[in-house]
Order: sequence, then C-alpha cells, then structure tokens
Amino acid sequence: MHIVLENVVKYYSRFKALDGVTLHVEEGEKVAILGPNGAGKTTLVKIVSGQMRANSGKVEVMGLDPAKTSRELRKKIGFVSHNPMIYDELTAYENLKFYANLYEVKEREERIKEVLKKVKLYDRRHSLVKTFSRGMKQRMAIARALLHDPDILILDEPTSGLDISGRRELLEYLRKLKKTILLTTHNINEVEKLCSRAVILMNGKVVAECEISEVEEVYMKIC
Amino acid sequence: MLKGDYLKPKFLEIAWKDIVIEFRSKSTLSLMILFSLITSMLFSVTVSSYAQEIGAALLWLIFIFVGMLGYARAFVREVELETLDGLKLSPVHPASILAGKMVYNLVLMLLTEAVIFPIFAGVFNMNISKPLIFLSILTLGNSAFVVAMSSLAVLIVKSRSKELLLPVIAFPVVFPVITSTVFALNMAVSGKIQNILQPVKMIVSFTMIILAVAFLTSEYAFTD
Repeated sequence: MHIVLENVVKYYSRFKALDGVTLHVEEGEKVAILGPNGAGKTTLVKIVSGQMRANSGKVEVMGLDPAKTSRELRKKIGFVSHNPMIYDELTAYENLKFYANLYEVKEREERIKEVLKKVKLYDRRHSLVKTFSRGMKQRMAIARALLHDPDILILDEPTSGLDISGRRELLEYLRKLKKTILLTTHNINEVEKLCSRAVILMNGKVVAECEISEVEEVYMKIC
Repeated sequence: MLKGDYLKPKFLEIAWKDIVIEFRSKSTLSLMILFSLITSMLFSVTVSSYAQEIGAALLWLIFIFVGMLGYARAFVREVELETLDGLKLSPVHPASILAGKMVYNLVLMLLTEAVIFPIFAGVFNMNISKPLIFLSILTLGNSAFVVAMSSLAVLIVKSRSKELLLPVIAFPVVFPVITSTVFALNMAVSGKIQNILQPVKMIVSFTMIILAVAFLTSEYAFTD
C-alpha cells in the first residue's frame, strides 16, 4: 500500500477539518478526492505530503510518517497545487536547477532539459518566470514536481488557471504516467479522464467511495 | 548561478538563491540602505553635538530599525509568494532553510553596514579610538541580531500581522544583545577596552543559545 490514512483527525483551532478519514491507495493507483469547498481536500493532501501534522490517526506514505522530516520520503513525493511554488525573479532553468540541487537529482542538466521539454517550456528556459502566463507557471509547477521523478504525485487542483487546451494536455500527460496519483478537484470531468477511483469528502468525512464509472451519479446524489 | 554550484551545501543553495533574487528585484537591500541614510541624516540634524557620547548607540539603533525592516523579509517574501511550501516539501532539513536565511540576512547586513558605517562616522564626525574593534563589535552585535531576527521570523510568518509582530516579540529577546553591544561599542569609542570581553562573551553566548534553540525547534516551527 502506497498511502495509508486511518481515522485521521485534524483540527484548526476548534474547527474539525478532518473527522476520522480513512483512505488506502495502492501503488500505481490514481485516486481522486472530490468534495465541495471546505470539505477538507487540501488539508488531507497537505497531511499526506507532510506539510501538516494530523492531530490523531495513522498516516503512512510508503511505510513512513510524512510529518517527520524523512529526506528519502520527500524525494518520492511530487506536489502540485494551484500555487506553482516557483520564484518569479529566477528563470525557468534557474528555478529547476535550484530544486534539482535541493532534491539531489542525478544527471540534473539532462533531467531539467527533459522536464522542460515535456511541459513545452524549453524554448523559454532562460526567461524570468515573472514574464510567464498563469498557464505557463502551472506547467513550471508540473516540471518542478516531476523533476526528481517521484513515485507519488499529489495534485491539489492542478488545472486551476489553465485554459481548456492546457487542461487537456496536462490530464493526458498525467494519465500516461505510471505513478501513484492523488488528485483533488471540483471537476468531475477531470476525474473521469485521469482516475480509476474516487473518494468523496464532505465536512471532513469520507461520505462515499466509488469506481470512476459511477462517480458522477454518486457525487450528484451527495453534493 | 555558478557552474559548480551542485556541490554547495543546501543552506548555501537557499542563501544564494535569495541573493540572486534580491539583486534582481532590489526590493529589500535598497530600502534598508535608504532607510539607514534617512535615519542617519535625521539624527545628524537633531543630535550631532552629542555624537561622541551617543554616536555608537545611535548607529546601533539604526541597524536595529533596519534589521526590523529587512530581516523578516527573507521569510515573509517566501510566504507571500507561497514558495515556502516548496522548500518545506523538499528533502531539506528545516534547519538548513533557517541557516540559508541567516546567511542571506548576514549578507544584507554586511552590505548595509559597509555603506552606512563610513557615512555615519563621517556625518557625525565621530572620533573612534579603536576603529577596528568598533567595527568588529558592530559586526558581531549585528550578526547576533540577524541570528535572533531570522529565528524569530520563522515564528511570525504564520501570523496575520507578520512584520508588525516581529518587533514586539523581538525586543525583549534581543535586549541583552542591544545593551551588551552598546556597552562594547562605547568602550571602543573611548578606547577603554579593558573590560570589553565581558559584553563580547555575552553577545557570543546569546548567539549560541539562540542558534541552538532555533535549530532544535526548526522542524516544529516549519510544520503546520
């Protein structure tokens, strides 16, 4: 099992953001976390990626606790959110070089070239990121997340800010990846294109789990 | 960036990245220097006749004000641009992130000091008996201040008021450094340096304690 969450509870002050969430994701599985705003989706992926500690419950990613700074585990996780986590005053190449150094990426120059070509930003590699459009920045975020070739990709609404063709290209690219993927989104169409299973969160609780073929029906019934 | 920079320790990578960004954006250093110049001019107009007695304290005061203004930016900018999450997600120990920010702030401090000290000394026509010792104490005190401010900045980045909160929590913490540095600087100005080791020991001990506490608690400070 690549990701294990059992009875996970997270409070923000007195507000219970996650209320006993249990979720198991197998290696290579692509799972969607669906739910309305405030359902606890981002909190959940932040806990899985180690950015946040759960108040109680068991959290294991590849057999390790992500909240404890495990360098090896961090190298196996790629995280993409609506926020690209890149520096405007650096060029695309400098941003990736900085992260490649932090992640100790082997054959860095080749890898940087490869991911920049994958996200179609190689020709703009020496441009400052502040000159990029929102969509280009989001593609940089994907490049950053894939740079260290992680086993698990955590995607927190990764298509926000992308135009229709950008969304389509990104989903097509992600679909081809043989990686464990945890995706949060509002968009059922994205889920249907990418994932094999969906988990629906509401008020911090898992209210349904279903195969992708029935996601629309289940989601409409609940939300 | 330099060609062989893959060999740099992680904290130097972070510091170098910040330095490159600062020199491109010129958002913090130029403001720090400008603020120092304005304050120096203001002091020179109002209290220049007491320069010999209170010059060291005024200079130190300027660096404290400038530090309050600038040192928290290293973290606050990462929070505002949401790039701190990228660092927190990377396989870098939080202590390395903190060390990187300290090195970056030290560079800012040294550059500000290099610009302001000669101007201040000139404007106030200060007669410093032991200029080398004076400069060393100034740099040591400033370094201690940078270490304290960088460490405390980690704690305030999650708060809403951020930079406004920093002076409130920083002044009580850095009080021993402020007093010790002023004592030592005054000794260097007057040339009576027999007991200068006492405040120096105080500054060094303070810096070591703050460093130890900051590094030991960095993992908790960086996780929500």
